[in-house]
Amino acid sequence: MRAASFDAHGAHAGPITLDVFASERVAATFANGREAHVAALLAAGIAKAMAGSVLIGPYDPRVQAAHCKRIAAFVAHDPLPFTDESEFDRYVEYRAALWDVDPVRAAAHARLVLERLAGVHEAFAYPLAAALAAEPQLLVLDRPLPAYAPQILAAAGPRAVFSTHVDELGARAFASAAIEWVRA
Amino acid sequence: MGSRVSRRAFFAIVQARLLEEYGTIVYACAAAAVVGFIQPHGLAGPIFFCSLLGIAIALIQRAGRHAYLDLSEQSAPLFGRELARAKAVVPCVVATLATVAYCVAAEVAGSRNLPLTLLVAFAAVIPSTLTALSATVRTGPSMLLYVAIAAGVSAAAFALVVDGGSPAGELGFSALASFLALRQYGEALARYDPV
Repeated sequence: MRAASFDAHGAHAGPITLDVFASERVAATFANGREAHVAALLAAGIAKAMAGSVLIGPYDPRVQAAHCKRIAAFVAHDPLPFTDESEFDRYVEYRAALWDVDPVRAAAHARLVLERLAGVHEAFAYPLAAALAAEPQLLVLDRPLPAYAPQILAAAGPRAVFSTHVDELGARAFASAAIEWVRA
Repeated sequence: MGSRVSRRAFFAIVQARLLEEYGTIVYACAAAAVVGFIQPHGLAGPIFFCSLLGIAIALIQRAGRHAYLDLSEQSAPLFGRELARAKAVVPCVVATLATVAYCVAAEVAGSRNLPLTLLVAFAAVIPSTLTALSATVRTGPSMLLYVAIAAGVSAAAFALVVDGGSPAGELGFSALASFLALRQYGEALARYDPV
């Protein structure tokens, strides 16, 4: 992101300048939850920056959003509304269809991730496992729970992880070198 | 792996949303059947009541009701225009089922015009439902404007078939209005920031 900012619908974020390289873990701290949420959406290519630029891999979300979303997976702050295993299987199948990936492989991958997330409550483990089922290169976490940091980072494996936080403690749990968000 | 909505993604979106709207389908069909039984004659009932249901069902597709589905769709590698087509099918299916329930109940109550009533009702309900979908990605006056346009589409369809006596004209108007509404919704969804 280069001086990327968003200002609409009463939500404001940025300008944000940061880089997330392959295999890197970057945790950024923001002034409040709404700003952290918008920054995570910008990083995943879901919201488009109104000023400055965002590149996800070689793609610009403003013109190549679909390509960006193949690279980045977004995990929301809010847990899923279900904790039932059969619903999870259906959810993974649904996500596999949206990402157009093999459902059997996606289900197997999601199960493997769930094993690594032992101890994490299902409502938080399921969205992460489902997001990783499409094997993204970048994992974007919107205000993840610091208590689950070791399991989440283990589940993420070698891929790049960008997480947003509203406190330093949370950010430190998710990155070897947590950064303050940088004004351009 | 393409970046277009595959048939699989299309059906996954429709199926997931219809499953979540199960209660809405039941209530809409029940309400339509009751009104159809009470008001079996004339075209005002099926056109206006079923259009109203279609508009209401479209409006409850607004982001936030099924947040995890919204977020999954928005974070998936899909184009807005194609996602719009899949999302638009859901309220249209519910509105169609409600219209069928209305017309069947009206037939049971003594109306003897099932095919024509169904045809002219669909021609009003589908474009007004699709037009109301654009209101779900807007707020404030522009949202109200789209709801008003959706109601206007229904009224225009009624005028064409009842005052104008032209079911063919209504069908033509319906096809044009549906096409424009779906296109508009797709464009709006492509630019939509779910913040």
